Formats: sequence, C-alpha cells, structure tokens
Amino acid sequence: MGKTEQLTDTMFYIMAALTKPRHGYAIMSLIEKTTEGVVTIGPASMYTIIKKLLKQEWIYLHDSSGARRKVYQLTDKGRRVLEEDFKVRKRLIQLAEKGLKGEEV
Amino acid sequence: MTKRKYITSGGLAFSEQKDMEKLRRYSLKGWHVKKFKFMGYTLEKGESTDYIYSIDYRSLNKGEDDDYYDFFSSAGWTNVTSEGDIHLFRAHPGTKPIYTDRDTTVSKYENSSRFMNKLAIPLIIMTVLMWLGTVLTSGISHTVFLTIALILTVLAIPTTWTVIATYNNKWKVEEKKGRVNFTRAVPYLLLIIATTTLALGGDKGLIISVLSSTIIGAVAFPTAIWLIMSLYHKVRQN
Repeated sequence: MGKTEQLTDTMFYIMAALTKPRHGYAIMSLIEKTTEGVVTIGPASMYTIIKKLLKQEWIYLHDSSGARRKVYQLTDKGRRVLEEDFKVRKRLIQLAEKGLKGEEV
Repeated sequence: MTKRKYITSGGLAFSEQKDMEKLRRYSLKGWHVKKFKFMGYTLEKGESTDYIYSIDYRSLNKGEDDDYYDFFSSAGWTNVTSEGDIHLFRAHPGTKPIYTDRDTTVSKYENSSRFMNKLAIPLIIMTVLMWLGTVLTSGISHTVFLTIALILTVLAIPTTWTVIATYNNKWKVEEKKGRVNFTRAVPYLLLIIATTTLALGGDKGLIISVLSSTIIGAVAFPTAIWLIMSLYHKVRQN
C-alpha cells in the first residue's frame, strides 16, 4: 500500500478500535456501539481485514496466553498509518461541518 | 433413525446465491443441511426453522479454525460444515451479512478461485501441447497423443468454465460490467466457432470427439475435482 493510498472505511474503523488491545468481538461491538448501529462489520470482512493488517504489520497479536480469544493491538507502524489517514478524514469532516453550518470554506 | 436426503448443488461458482436460497427453503420445510456431499448437500429432517445461509472461502492453517469460527459465532453465524477451503454458515434472518464491504467481498471470490486457477493453467497448457502432438504426429504416437488430448480436454473445458465463473463473480462485485457481459457471451462465441468449423468441413470425426468429450467432461469433471479436493484436504490435515 502506497503512502497516498487511503484506508478503506472498514480498515479505518478496525484500526481506530485497536489503539487498545481488543479481541474480534470487542472490535465489532465497539464499532456498532460508537455508531449507534449504523456501521456493522460482518465476521468474514472482519477476519479478512485482521489477517491483512497482521500481514502489513500494522497490528500484532497481543500476548494473551490463557485467553480464549486472540487479542490484537496497533503496532507503531499501524499508529502512524492511522494518524495519516485520520488527518485527511478530519479535514473532510471539517469541510462538511463548516459547510453545513453555513460558514465560509 | 434420522431421516436424511440428498439435494444437488448448482455448483458454487455458478449459483452460490441460488444454492443458499434453496437451503433456506428446505430449512423452512424442516430439512436442514448437514454436510457437503458430492455435487450437493446432505439434509437431515428436523423442525421447521427459518435459517439463512452463507458461504465463505478461506484456507485456514492448523490452529486457526477456532479463532475463525469464533468471529462468526459471536456475530450470530454458526458453522454448519466445512470441506477444504469452503465453509458453510447459518444464522437467523436479520443477522448482519458476513461480508459488509466491497473490498473484502472481492477478496472472497479471489479466495474461491485460487485453487482452480492453480489447476487450470497447467491443465490448459498440457491440453494444447497434446493437441499439437496429435496434429504433428502419425501412427501409434498420434493415437497416444489423441487419447491423452481427449482426456485432458474433458478436464480442461469445465475447469476453464469454472474459473471464468469465479472471475465473473468477482467482477460482478467490482461492477466491471463490460467483463461480466463478455463472459456471458463466451458460450455463444464458442458455439459459433464450433458451428463455423463444422460448416467449413473440418475433420468431422475430430469435432465430434471434442464435443462428446465436453459432454463427458461435464459429468467426469466434478467427480475428478471432488476427488482431488478431498485428497488435497486429507493430505493437508495429516
């Protein structure tokens, strides 16, 4: 993935949930709760993205020996990627916000 | 004694959605799918329930299964059965779909075609080489080449067909309409080519053998694939 390429929405949501160690189900319910049920992520999509993020080394398998479910967290690299993407998204949100309020953009 | 019955599949590459709807209709009548069976499914009689079904294609390494199925069960999807890289899930209506965005749905169909692609390319190359051999030789070697060429054609045509179908599934998700229309036209194109060759007075015997091998292939091929798939799976398990 090149530097200019944007994260897909689903990737962004999952990475946003992984600033703290969480397992798959926790990620899904956190995203649902935060968006009041507007955004849901299906288990197959979720699994596909988790695998992809592990491969890119943007997340890692958190040491959770003994835990029944695998727990993941962002790596430093993943944090930087999320931060870059966040900046772009934030600018767009501000654009929409100002526009909706009738302010000059 | 549980009552069982067998129903056919339209072939997952060709009619995944139709198959899933069919399984739902049977569940409403109390017949629930238990296993994949050669070119179809085994159903078991139980209580009538409204279940929806979904398929996922994924090659899992040893020890990954639990984690994978756990993702699904926490979202309300129960694993009914799995064979090789194909996993069947069921849930109650209203459960959120297993794929919720386009990018990952595209990768689903990439996973589904991976095995077939590996098989198709060498098979097609071999088939072409054998037909070349048939044309270039005479006598005994000609017969040998012809026999091998026919057998390979039997396998190659349906394999190619299936690969095209899986790509088609992927392109549909990606909304590449041009390519979808093109693959839809392929059978007609082939028919036109075959008829033209016949009309131009090609070797009629040869054309008839190719055509009949295609028909045999439609039957023999799924058998072969099924055998290879289950062998492949058994080897990987051990």
